[in-house]
Amino acid sequence: MGPATRIAIKDLKLRIRDRSAFILGIFAPLVLAVIFNFVFGGALNAESLDLRFGLVDLDDSEVSQGFSDILIGAESEELLALTEFEDAAGAEAAVEAGDIDAYYLIDSGLGEAVQAGEEFEIQIVGDVDAPTSSQIAASIAKQFGDGVAGVQLSVATSVGLLDGPPPPEVAEWGQEAAAQGPSYVIDDVTTATRQLDATTYFSAGMAVFFLFFTVQFGVIGLLEEQRDGTMARLMAAPIRRTSVITAKALLSAWLGFISLTVLILATYFLLGANWGPPLGVALLVLGGVLSAVAIMGLVASIAVTPEGAGNLGAIIAVVLGMLGGTFFPIGQGEDLLSRLTFLTPHAWFMRGLADISGGAEWTAALPSVAALLVFFLVLGSFAWILLRRRVTA
Amino acid sequence: MVKRFGDLTAVGGVGFSIEEGETFGLLGPNGAGKTTSISMIAGLLEPDAGEIVVAGTPISPSSVAGKGAIGLVPQDLAIYPDLTATENLSFFGRLYGMMRDELTRRVDEVLEVIGLTDRKDDLTKEFSGGMKRRLNIGIGLLHRPKLLILDEPTVGVDPQSRNSILESVESLSAEGMAVLYTTHYMEEAERLCDRVAIIDEGTIKAEGTRRELVSMVGERDRITITATGDLSRAAQLAGEMQGVFEASQSDRGLDVLADEASTLLPELLSRIAGGGAVITGVDVVEPNLEAVFLHVTGKALRD
Repeated sequence: MGPATRIAIKDLKLRIRDRSAFILGIFAPLVLAVIFNFVFGGALNAESLDLRFGLVDLDDSEVSQGFSDILIGAESEELLALTEFEDAAGAEAAVEAGDIDAYYLIDSGLGEAVQAGEEFEIQIVGDVDAPTSSQIAASIAKQFGDGVAGVQLSVATSVGLLDGPPPPEVAEWGQEAAAQGPSYVIDDVTTATRQLDATTYFSAGMAVFFLFFTVQFGVIGLLEEQRDGTMARLMAAPIRRTSVITAKALLSAWLGFISLTVLILATYFLLGANWGPPLGVALLVLGGVLSAVAIMGLVASIAVTPEGAGNLGAIIAVVLGMLGGTFFPIGQGEDLLSRLTFLTPHAWFMRGLADISGGAEWTAALPSVAALLVFFLVLGSFAWILLRRRVTA
Repeated sequence: MVKRFGDLTAVGGVGFSIEEGETFGLLGPNGAGKTTSISMIAGLLEPDAGEIVVAGTPISPSSVAGKGAIGLVPQDLAIYPDLTATENLSFFGRLYGMMRDELTRRVDEVLEVIGLTDRKDDLTKEFSGGMKRRLNIGIGLLHRPKLLILDEPTVGVDPQSRNSILESVESLSAEGMAVLYTTHYMEEAERLCDRVAIIDEGTIKAEGTRRELVSMVGERDRITITATGDLSRAAQLAGEMQGVFEASQSDRGLDVLADEASTLLPELLSRIAGGGAVITGVDVVEPNLEAVFLHVTGKALRD
């Protein structure tokens, strides 16, 4: 057994006696996962959302019919329940009575406005007590509207390219195309499409969030050895200086593996979390732990005291955790937040799990694992260089 | 050895050698360069100039070679409070390559030497300050180093524990270990050290046995004899003895200045009594290193 392993075993013994690493690494995330799952699980889990929408079509054009067909299609797939009303008053009464969560009001003139290339409007009236359903209703309408606007633009562009007045068929084609709507408006987002169920989401989120706090206990041990005077003894012993750094990184990794493994097993058996194929999960755990060790090693290399490192590490862990979508899902669109999220190991860990938890092969996790290893190699190299300078008696 | 920190020269040319079984003291006030010197000797600091050789092997922070021959007892406690005394000793013993049976045997021996056998399985955070200090020393001597470096091991220790620590150190040189002992307590240096180097402002001002250092500054032992009878005759007889520098009559008896009071005293008292004086009391004051320090540095050791 080499000196690094001996030092790491000594540190593990100290951490076991101290207990704080295991409270932070296992108990806290497990409790929070249970609480979050209980409180927010229903709202996050799309399968449990009971979407009840109404439709008031006063236009009765091909365009409004196209929108209606999309909603009926979604109903046939049991994604929502649709009720059609003759007028707004009836729909309003249904909302008041709690029979529906929101309704669409399409005034007359929608088809003509689309045909003329003018602005158009679909109103959504929602129940204040069902904000999530209302937001989903608005999202569906917006996607339909975006699709129609795209068709309008295409038609306008085509007409602009023709010499002379547009043939009468052009307006008809435009209306027909708009009525088709975008084919991807509503889809089942709960299986095999980068979406974890609520239990798995909160279990994984809390596990990777607290992972960064847990691995801190290893690398910050370097600063504790300096503060407590034992670093002088280690430096005076016939061992290489790098053995001490390796020992602390080893302990960090051990604590991370123990924490994640226990949490995965506990949430699988106690909460029914669906982690996916074990090999894929194991690779993600490996990548997640190594990236966390690298980041917290970097923190230890620039901090002056163990307390300072703890504070800085906590700030970084919270910021990365929030940004990485461990508390609430971050979208995968083109906005800034969606792009920033992938600057965090947390996001890659969650994405990797989402890729494999819906029944996909373990190999689906490989891109995320590769990203996590890039974090480890790049940040770990910096940390290693800085810590070598830092480790003195 | 030379060591500079920016513009500050912490050690500006310190050099000495220590033989097996010898206890060598570095005596100097706080900030004199003692800890910087031993940090270089223990391989914790790279000297800007000079060379350290222990048991024939050059010592350097970047090299593992030779460090096994050194045992370090840092000034600050360097033990793990959440490990037991046995676990602390065993951990460091393994880092020095000690094997299981040998380690177990040696741990028991050291626990006996430092008087912690009864508390060997207690967490050290439950120990008194003196017990922690003793364990701190025990870790340093566990692997039977050829050179044991003790950096002010009695700072902040109660008198009883201090005496126990000094007794432990006294026994080490008897085992053939070379001991480098730094202190700013003159009494410790006088009690423990075969040779002493007086260090101040990063340089060695004087070096030698206590006697050599004392003679260097012309100080002699003062023997005050309380007596009655023919004191004039007594003073004459004392003054004729070899080794007596001066003997004079005083109000209560005789004052004698000599080089080796402890050696001369039996014959001196016999002569005086034989001359007709009745001796009622004897007091011997030997010149100490405090006077030497004052002489070579121009300031008191406690300054």
